Amino acid sequence: MPVIVVASSKGGAGKSTTTVVLGTELAYAGADVTLLDCDPNRSLSLWAAKAPLPERIGVVSDITESAVVRVIKEHDADGRIVIVDLEGIASRMVSRAISQADLVLIPMRATVLDATIGVRSIALIAEEEEALGRNIAHAVVFTMTRAIRSKQQNGIEASLRRQGVSIIEPPLMERAAFSALFEFGGNLRSIPEQGNMQGAIENAAAFAAAVYGELRGALQ
Amino acid sequence: MNDFSIDLASLKRRAKPGSETSVAKTDKVAEARGFVPREPQGRRGRPKSPRTGQVHAKVMPEVAEQISAEARRQGVQQGVLIEKAWELYREKQRGLSRK
Ligand SMILES: Nc1ncnc2c1ncn2[C@@H]1O[C@H](COP(=O)(O)OP(=O)(O)O)[C@@H](O)[C@H]1O
Ligand SMILES: [Mg+2]
Repeated sequence: MPVIVVASSKGGAGKSTTTVVLGTELAYAGADVTLLDCDPNRSLSLWAAKAPLPERIGVVSDITESAVVRVIKEHDADGRIVIVDLEGIASRMVSRAISQADLVLIPMRATVLDATIGVRSIALIAEEEEALGRNIAHAVVFTMTRAIRSKQQNGIEASLRRQGVSIIEPPLMERAAFSALFEFGGNLRSIPEQGNMQGAIENAAAFAAAVYGELRGALQ
Repeated sequence: MNDFSIDLASLKRRAKPGSETSVAKTDKVAEARGFVPREPQGRRGRPKSPRTGQVHAKVMPEVAEQISAEARRQGVQQGVLIEKAWELYREKQRGLSRK
């Protein structure tokens, strides 16, 4: 089954949040999902420990650089979606995980710093594609965006599009409910009401649907 | 509400490279971009010395200085120098006993 790798060498770009929102929404929509926690800071495992895991979700923790390719392959089977959450650094773990991806998501806040560092992951993907002789589909995810788009975001988007980089629409808005997932565990349907809950759920579902669309495109 | 459902049948596994050579290729381009190993590669630090014996030697200060200077010059521990001196001494002994 398809492997989605969530990568950006920038800490705080929104990788773990993207992973949990996407994983829980895909599972809610009926997919079997395995989340691989490849970050020694164990964000996913902390989320998993807060509450019983939602239906159809499994989490695998403590994956090392030398094991990452094998572990991804073990879980890459028909009928499951594997999502790999990585540490926010430039490491060999990141490049090895990318080598196994059907789709790489590159989360970034709409800031020049996040975008600059995100672009390094895109450059790495391009070189891995060449070295391995295979296409590796990838797309940027804007995270923590506001209802009113900043000038910076417009500029960054325009520049990415000019370079032919796909961008997942909608972005993940800044929502209390998304950060609360790590406080309570579970999914957006199980946690106590946070802020504009309905808005958060709609955003998450539309986001997951867009990623699913991108993934199907990549698998054609 | 943006409900959508997932067509599990469309989610087929695709073959991906995983041989040692392809991993090595990945590592190589990654390293050139600054994506480097983070986990210890084998043992860290210098290997343990097999020199576990000790001698207890008080010598004249100038001899101590000369031994120290010679060890530094050769880039070895003083123990290595003492082993060499001992070897020379033993050779000499053997030479004498054959006469
Ligand atoms: N869309 C969002 N809305 C609200 N808070 C967010 C959102 N995305 C990330 N955060 C918060 O920002 C911080 C960093 O996000 P995280 O997903 O842990 O980043 P990374 O995994 O890239 O280091 C966390 O405290 C998280 O709760
Ligand atoms: Mg994280």
